[in-house]
Amino acid sequence: MKKFLSAIFSIASTTCALAQEAPTSPLEFSGSVDTYYKYDFAKRPNIPTSFASDHNSVSLGMIDLVLKKKTGKASFVGEISFGPRGQTQSIPDAANNNSSFHIQNLYVNYDFSDKFSMTAGYMGTFIGYEVISPVGNFNYSTSYLFTNGPFQNAGIKATYKFSDKVSLMAGLFNDWNVYSATRGVSSIGAQLMVSPVEGWTAYLNVLSGADPYGYGTIEDLTTSYQISKAFKLGLNAANYDMADDAGGYAGVALYPQIAVADAVTLGLRGEYFKYKDVGATPGTSYTGVTFTANIKSGGLTFIPEVRLDHNGDKPFFNKTAGAAPNAGQFSLAAVYAF
Amino acid sequence: MKYLFILFIAIISFKVSAQQKQFPLDDSGKFIYYEVVDVKTTPKDSLLMRANTFLNADKKSIVKQNSTDSSITAKGKMVIDKTILVAGHPSGEVNYILNFEARDKKYRYWLSDFEYIPYQRDRYGNYVATTKVGTALEKTPGKLNAGEWKDILESAYNKTAKFAENFKKALATNIVDKQKTKANTVSTKKW
Repeated sequence: MKKFLSAIFSIASTTCALAQEAPTSPLEFSGSVDTYYKYDFAKRPNIPTSFASDHNSVSLGMIDLVLKKKTGKASFVGEISFGPRGQTQSIPDAANNNSSFHIQNLYVNYDFSDKFSMTAGYMGTFIGYEVISPVGNFNYSTSYLFTNGPFQNAGIKATYKFSDKVSLMAGLFNDWNVYSATRGVSSIGAQLMVSPVEGWTAYLNVLSGADPYGYGTIEDLTTSYQISKAFKLGLNAANYDMADDAGGYAGVALYPQIAVADAVTLGLRGEYFKYKDVGATPGTSYTGVTFTANIKSGGLTFIPEVRLDHNGDKPFFNKTAGAAPNAGQFSLAAVYAF
Repeated sequence: MKYLFILFIAIISFKVSAQQKQFPLDDSGKFIYYEVVDVKTTPKDSLLMRANTFLNADKKSIVKQNSTDSSITAKGKMVIDKTILVAGHPSGEVNYILNFEARDKKYRYWLSDFEYIPYQRDRYGNYVATTKVGTALEKTPGKLNAGEWKDILESAYNKTAKFAENFKKALATNIVDKQKTKANTVSTKKW
């Protein structure tokens, strides 16, 4: 640990001298609000992924407010959200009573040079394809990979940009989704970004250490490729192994999207997800197909969506509350970004 | 009542004066910002040197592509901002090609091939390009996004005009004089 920190600060002090003063930016202010209606075909909350959880209700997502400022080489980001998506359904809820707020990002960053920067604080996780904010996702409902992975990581990280096509991040983090560590600074994480051709970016991620349930290691690939002006393909694959044969998960999700008009993009999410065996208890696997449209008008995006999930172990409900292998839902969301 | 009338006239006057300026179209139907500038005494070589100095000063925003003994081509970008009351954030970038040609005592430049790339907030709260594929500024958007596109065009024009103003100022300034000005110091010994 000491060697790692020493290496980071050696690089920092070397590159600090080479850095040129960057201009001050004005205070940035942005955010979003979202609301949705969902109808589950079993007439009750059914699919166990994050957000959009209410059945047959016009419900709230969250209001999200972001501040950012850069002065010279130093900058900060503060992002806070209110509403179910940003409170009880994100973790942690600040007051732990389901009626508080959630900090999405709270960190400071220092650019020692054009190539090297360091960041410390509470940040959106670098693992995975989907994020908490609906502005950052194409689909309104979320994948099993997202729901089961980390949402945020508090820690300190260093990023070195070799070129526009390659960069490397390494950092030390608390356990997942906590403002202050419950088991010390207990995780190490790294991310290699490569962009082999224009429009194609891939992130190879690893995070090893404490999670909410024990200790484990995630390997994750998140990539997207704008193949043509109209067609984009995204992919997320992850494997999570918990220590002491305590389970974990593995999964892959594919995200093809095609723009059919200036304001309309259609997309699919196809996902396979498996909870691993825990000792002698066998795991279980889900498949899900989600068909989503994004219709944009200025800052507003309408997101109609149909989702069908399957699991042979019948974890879902049918209309009479009996066990069912299939689940389906329709939702219509409105997301306004400003 | 009199004050209300004056305020009304002032608002109308402001709106008229603030009407959106638009890029003219070139022979191929693309937006262009074109200007020929006469300079009374400056030779071609000095103009080229000043243009090079200007372009080299901000390599994050503009990068030279080609140059000859009388011309320069560069690729640039300008960030478009969305303002909410007093604060705002970047909403996208407009990429363009700058062409510059110099002769003795005159030069011309034009910006063309404007393409807009929208930004989106990423997981860390920073605004980043959502795609590498730009949309030509000349393209007429659908009704759903017409209002937003108008704001982008207006902002792109204003940023281009500002760039042109700075570029012309740089080409009108003798680099040696500029360096002398920079080196000026204030002496407190004599007074």
